[in-house]
Amino acid sequence: MLLRVDQKGVLTGVTVREAMRRQVVHLLQTATVAQAIRSTVKFKVNALLVEAPDRRALGVVSKTDLMGAYYAGLPLDTPLEAVMVGPPLFCRPEDSLDAALEVMRSLRVHRLYVEEEPPGVAVGVLAYPDIVGVLYRFCHRCRRTLLKKGERGLDLANQVRVREVMTPGVAAFPESASLYEVMEGLAAQRLAAVLIRTSQGRPVGVVSKTDLILAYLHEMPPDTPVREIMQQPVVAVEQEEALEAALRQMIFADIHRLFVYKERPEVVVGVLSLSDAARFRSGTCRACLASRIKVGGP
Amino acid sequence: MADSARQVMDTRFFTLRPGHTLGQAARAFVEAGEATGRRVFGMMVVDHQGKLVGMLSLYDILLAIRPKHIHLWGEMQDLDLEGLLDRTCRQAAALRVGDVMTTDLITVEPDTHLLRVIDLMLKKHVRRLPVVEQGRILGIVYLSRVFEYLLDRLTVSLPECDWECVDPA
Repeated sequence: MLLRVDQKGVLTGVTVREAMRRQVVHLLQTATVAQAIRSTVKFKVNALLVEAPDRRALGVVSKTDLMGAYYAGLPLDTPLEAVMVGPPLFCRPEDSLDAALEVMRSLRVHRLYVEEEPPGVAVGVLAYPDIVGVLYRFCHRCRRTLLKKGERGLDLANQVRVREVMTPGVAAFPESASLYEVMEGLAAQRLAAVLIRTSQGRPVGVVSKTDLILAYLHEMPPDTPVREIMQQPVVAVEQEEALEAALRQMIFADIHRLFVYKERPEVVVGVLSLSDAARFRSGTCRACLASRIKVGGP
Repeated sequence: MADSARQVMDTRFFTLRPGHTLGQAARAFVEAGEATGRRVFGMMVVDHQGKLVGMLSLYDILLAIRPKHIHLWGEMQDLDLEGLLDRTCRQAAALRVGDVMTTDLITVEPDTHLLRVIDLMLKKHVRRLPVVEQGRILGIVYLSRVFEYLLDRLTVSLPECDWECVDPA
């Protein structure tokens, strides 16, 4: 499916070509679910393109789809053509970035593939984190940006507190919950990860879709208690912490989100995603405010 | 058969299990290098029955080390990244070999002709090929070993050359 993207916006002049990633992680339609899990883990991507032998794009398999296959009890040697979602959505390198964003926002998709000639063959992929990087670079180049104004801009960035940017509220499960229950929660709330608490309510771990698909690859029964696969410790930040420090913490831990607590680590009050943080840093002027990305899901 | 994989394969080889961590795999690379006197940058992965199930190469490990958000922190040059490499390596070291190994296996048989072996290595961009016969691993062919073998052939009946050896010392 081709979406012609030709609207004008505040990022006029910035095209998909400047933001897209040229390395498209792809597998053949006959590749297995196990191979897809290995590729998502190794290449650290959230989705893979499924192709025919002639490189025509047939569909997309995301971590959510792989988690769904686990939940449904599909064997690890299931071919990707049985679990993929298709056809992939395409834009073109010359399309404007803001219009591509609008398409992603309106269709609630996290990525668009990029095609040239011949159509239907992916030459790149455009996902939110790629756009965040370009917006940040764009902001540095922009004459109006506060960040460009030397010390004043940087001071301002340092003064931004985590609570101003975080998403309030948090989804949590007890450590005795089964992987089934956690998968249901992640799917229903369109989340990438959940907090795990002890029976006394103390945060003890985090479980992401990556942890769940690895449990699938390791052939763990889905009724296994989540405590057996959770990541510890909970990487968290105090809500009054500077956004700058929180960003550094996320980059260091190679994670996409931080749980945010108020005064004591037991009191988790929200989640800060790297997209939230980088988006905030991508400009505070009117032009950029109008172009901030709304990532799908709560 | 003359000039086949059998002539160049190493019959002493080391293997990993899918359940090993990448940290253990790195240790195995070092120890295998010490034992064989040549640097090891990749190994075969076998299951509990000794059946070949994957290959782990330095590229698989480098991909596991590369941070997910490197494209972002490339933009954020004002961030202090000191200590990042150590932390990233610690995280990658905890992954299992079976989580990142390559399972699209390319193998040869002991009688596969050496020119076919060279063709496969060039076309598939691989530096090592397991030699398998009826499901049993017999050895491994290294690109460097193939080249050593070729060097002998390339220099056969070569007249004296007057090449130069530059030694600034």
